[in-house]
Amino acid sequence: MSKLEKFIEEMGDKITRKIDKKRRFYFNVKNENLREVSEYLFNNIGCRLSTATGMEMTYGIEILYHFSDDDTGQYYCPRVVIKDKKNPEVNSIVTIVQGAEWIEREIFDFWGVIFTDHPRMEKLLTLNHPEKLDKPMRMKEE
Amino acid sequence: MSGNRIPLGPFHPLLEEAEFFEIKVDGETVVDIDMEIGWMHRGHEYISEMSSFTQSIYLVERICGICSTSHPLACVHAVEDIDNIEIPIRARYIRTLVGELERIHSHLLWLGLAGHFIGYDTVWMWAWKYREPVLQIIEAISGNRNHYGIMRVGGVSKDVDPSNIPKLLEILDTVDKKMDMFAKVVNDDPVLKKRLVGVGVLTKQDAIDYCAVGPTSRASGVRGDVRKDDPSDAYDLVDFNEIVLQNGDVYDKLVLRVLETKESIKICRQCFESLKTAKGSIINNVKEISPGEGIGRYEAPRGEVFHYMRSDGTNRPIRHKVRAPSYVNIPTYKASCIGVSISDALITLAAVDPCYCCTERSLTITDINQRSNSLDILKLSKEKTEKIRREINGK
Repeated sequence: MSKLEKFIEEMGDKITRKIDKKRRFYFNVKNENLREVSEYLFNNIGCRLSTATGMEMTYGIEILYHFSDDDTGQYYCPRVVIKDKKNPEVNSIVTIVQGAEWIEREIFDFWGVIFTDHPRMEKLLTLNHPEKLDKPMRMKEE
Repeated sequence: MSGNRIPLGPFHPLLEEAEFFEIKVDGETVVDIDMEIGWMHRGHEYISEMSSFTQSIYLVERICGICSTSHPLACVHAVEDIDNIEIPIRARYIRTLVGELERIHSHLLWLGLAGHFIGYDTVWMWAWKYREPVLQIIEAISGNRNHYGIMRVGGVSKDVDPSNIPKLLEILDTVDKKMDMFAKVVNDDPVLKKRLVGVGVLTKQDAIDYCAVGPTSRASGVRGDVRKDDPSDAYDLVDFNEIVLQNGDVYDKLVLRVLETKESIKICRQCFESLKTAKGSIINNVKEISPGEGIGRYEAPRGEVFHYMRSDGTNRPIRHKVRAPSYVNIPTYKASCIGVSISDALITLAAVDPCYCCTERSLTITDINQRSNSLDILKLSKEKTEKIRREINGK
């Protein structure tokens, strides 16, 4: 059984809307299961967190994590959808993956997503911006 | 703990991209480091989302002057990943060739600057001198020394003339000989070893925790090279070794880059040989991109470059995410800088190769008694090397 098959079996119905392409595995995960899935990917499979992508869609804000398994070249991409665009909040995974600190701060900076339990939830790229930015830079909708 | 804080940046000769480091010191020992970024934010992702797929390639080429193949390659890989677009064999070799030539000149550039930072100015001048032939080869292939502009979705835009290959191979041989000389210097020089061994150690666990990539993690014993793990272009057709070292100090990062350059030369030779005989076109005509998402990555000289593209079926991406290797490597300073002396801080910061330029500037610190004095961190580094040299020579 491959690592991917074992992962799918272990996670069961915690992961939904699975898309399996060549060496890329995208799936949806609920906010409450994000830490468990991240912990499995980082500690059990030995993945490295490449980065996470924030996106504003019509139905909410999407955060797509990119975990790379360097032994097989496989990408695992958990996707969390936050429907409340006014008060977006998601669990931080910094306690599991130290390398997520800047990535989460950047998403907070651009999309205003608050990562709960993040040790330093402040802007990353526009912290010293010369103009006063009173709303997340990349959000189109008020 | 004393209250001495040394500001480094946001505009400092070490840092090509403006970044701010606040180094907290106790006596001469670094006890903590804080980092702030954002001075160089240019909104590349946003601009790319307003551009067509082809325009995005030119745009991302300009993210970094040194990695001007890595970003476009990762970008086209991401677009090709959406539709599983196949690349002609000749284009695969050309992409690999240009990517490896970029690695050689980037590592030589780093080698020169690292030499300069520890007082080996001859190494600096030689490394940059021998980088020049590599740029000549790239110019002969693409027409440009930097920003080559040859990557396209589905292939490349310029072919390599087979009649030029023997001449280009001769130039490559001269670089190879000089790299042998550098390898010998690194191996034989007792001053260099004493100066760099055990300095700025990044442990294997820290490299894993911070998700470090490229030479920064491979020098700490963590394997991972996109060229081996997720081979694209011609990397599954050429023979090369992934270099992994164990100590994680500045010396291992130096050795690793020298050895990687030798491997890159090996790959270039194989690509040139294959391009003598490989037939066919250099680009597949791609008319439209389907709705979907794709991930593209490439092993840049500093580590994995990551691009994510999402398409809605129009001629431009609705989301384009870019993550350069320095983004994940720079936070490792929090682990590698703590405990080193201030004279070693400069070379420890430089060992990650965080895109720096070569001018220099002195900085002002305020000591515990609020007296201002000037401290040239580069001078401190050079003085330490000189002291070791005198000790070894018995003078």
